[in-house]
Amino acid sequence: MTATNVLHTSDLAQRLVEAEATIEALLSGQIDAVVDSKSQTPVLLSKAQQALRESEERYRQIVEATTDGIIKIDAGARIVFVNRRFAEMLGYEPPELIGRSVFDLMSAAAQLSARDVFDQHGQGKVDAVDTTLHHKDGSDIWVNIAGSPLFDGAGRHVGNLGVVRNVTERQKLQSQLMVSDRMASVGTLAAGVAHEINNPLAAVMANLEFMADSLATMGPHPNATWLLGELKEPLEEAREAAQMVRLIVRDLKIFSRSPADEPTGAVDVKEIMESSVRMAWNEIRHRAQLVKHYGVVPAVKANEARLGQVFLNLLVNAAQALPEGRAEYHEIRVSTRLDGERVVIEVGDTGAGIRPEIIGRIFDAFFTTKAVGEGTGLGLAICHRIVTDMGGELTVESEPGKGATFRVALPVADEPESTVAVPVEASLAIGRRGRILVVDDEELVLRGVQRMLVKEHSVVAVTTAAGALALCAAGDKFDVILCDLMMPDMTGMDFHAELSRVAPHLADRVIFMTGGAFTARAQKFLSETPKEHIEKPFHAANLRAIIQRYLR
Amino acid sequence: MGLRLRLYVAGNAPNSVRAIANAKAICDEHFAAAHDLEIVDMLEQPGRALADGIIVTPTLLKLMPLPVQRVIGNLSDKDQVLLALTGT
Repeated sequence: MTATNVLHTSDLAQRLVEAEATIEALLSGQIDAVVDSKSQTPVLLSKAQQALRESEERYRQIVEATTDGIIKIDAGARIVFVNRRFAEMLGYEPPELIGRSVFDLMSAAAQLSARDVFDQHGQGKVDAVDTTLHHKDGSDIWVNIAGSPLFDGAGRHVGNLGVVRNVTERQKLQSQLMVSDRMASVGTLAAGVAHEINNPLAAVMANLEFMADSLATMGPHPNATWLLGELKEPLEEAREAAQMVRLIVRDLKIFSRSPADEPTGAVDVKEIMESSVRMAWNEIRHRAQLVKHYGVVPAVKANEARLGQVFLNLLVNAAQALPEGRAEYHEIRVSTRLDGERVVIEVGDTGAGIRPEIIGRIFDAFFTTKAVGEGTGLGLAICHRIVTDMGGELTVESEPGKGATFRVALPVADEPESTVAVPVEASLAIGRRGRILVVDDEELVLRGVQRMLVKEHSVVAVTTAAGALALCAAGDKFDVILCDLMMPDMTGMDFHAELSRVAPHLADRVIFMTGGAFTARAQKFLSETPKEHIEKPFHAANLRAIIQRYLR
Repeated sequence: MGLRLRLYVAGNAPNSVRAIANAKAICDEHFAAAHDLEIVDMLEQPGRALADGIIVTPTLLKLMPLPVQRVIGNLSDKDQVLLALTGT
């Protein structure tokens, strides 16, 4: 054995020191090139490193710039990577989530289904699920997770990759759509029912008024005093009852119109509030005394159907904040006042109030303090949206133990109210006698109106628009033409158009009678025509007052 | 007896440029009187690198005085470089 084959220990030590120094320099990035052991040629390290860095940067940019959250977990469901978007979705910084079990972020139910999904992932299946994850603040957010399994080189399942999208907004919208869909169908039904009720109701009211008037003007008939005494009260009660039916039907109509059919206009908040109070009365009366403070306020710019929905919701919520059966101890306060350019409507209760920690969330969709099945958590969210859409504000103020007050602030309307309200107590003074044409396909209505007017005017009644047109075309003279808007053979609108052709001087004399169910065309027509219309059922006094205006 | 050094670099790669600057600075500061610093680009003269048993750059070889010493890296740790050069 020759000495040249022996490596001296000092040389060995030297080589080891050099090897360590090389490794250290490599690790600290101080090396530019290495000699490739096979080809014995130098290879620049920086190029390979640069390429790696660029590639890493490219992937990092993609992962961080995507609008979706990205999460990687290992086979034991521990989080090994999240991008910033994912962490932000749940209110965390990315490092806070690394190493935690992904199940920590899930409710018990979500965990169960997630375990199923992971099992399937193990078998190579890919899918997407909608589920909820816990936000750091304790709320739940809805997410859609598209998951795919990760395998190592040997084909072992080593974890999962999830692409996570926040669908909370989408879920909210879907629920709101469902609710408004349901309301729209209820609304359509209600509008139909309202129409069906209004026509016979118009006849009932007209005839009741006729009977009351007849009794009052019987003169010195021997039985007059007795009849009057016996019948006055029942007649009055029948009229009141009919009046209540009229209001209920009108309320139904308010809540049935869809926003598209009825754009915003000048609305009397007091009137809407009164309607809402009547609808909520059954909820209110067992729980509280209702205190009203209506200040004098101008009309607001709003959609009356939607505003009615808001008021009703606030009233029912106020009532439900109070226990049943202690009505004498509790109050629900309703008030209106003008505050600068805005009308402020308040609905307050004397219930337990709203806890400060949840008051910031009560307008959030799905947030509810009611038991499961009692509330969807959508009512206030929808109210908030409706009021905001009208350019207004819905706010709440509450002191625990002292109740809560919801405040709706709406912009004052820049146009005057669209329908001229004729006071119910209009003058009964009989004016000039006129010649009136009444057109309605409902004979009951026709006869009722005829009776209502026949003492003061000469009344011609026809059941078809064609018949009315024939009279006018033949040169018959009328001071006023009362015409039903919705008739099966020819509508009031078509009648008016045709009348303008055959007897233009009479076209100005038309007053439309409306029963409630409007087609889109009728709605548009009424909002555009300067022609007057009177809603069925009407009081005789109102009708007489309107007719007298045409006779002057 | 003068100091003979040979610094293997890889073109103008960042660590090589830094190593050249560091080596010159150390020589000027501590061995201004007598030193010989040869700079060899391994990319241009791979044969010489092989002959000297260089496997990475930058590598500084102290040829004289003996024993031969190697310092690997960009020579930014001045104390370590001085230790290798002076053997103390």
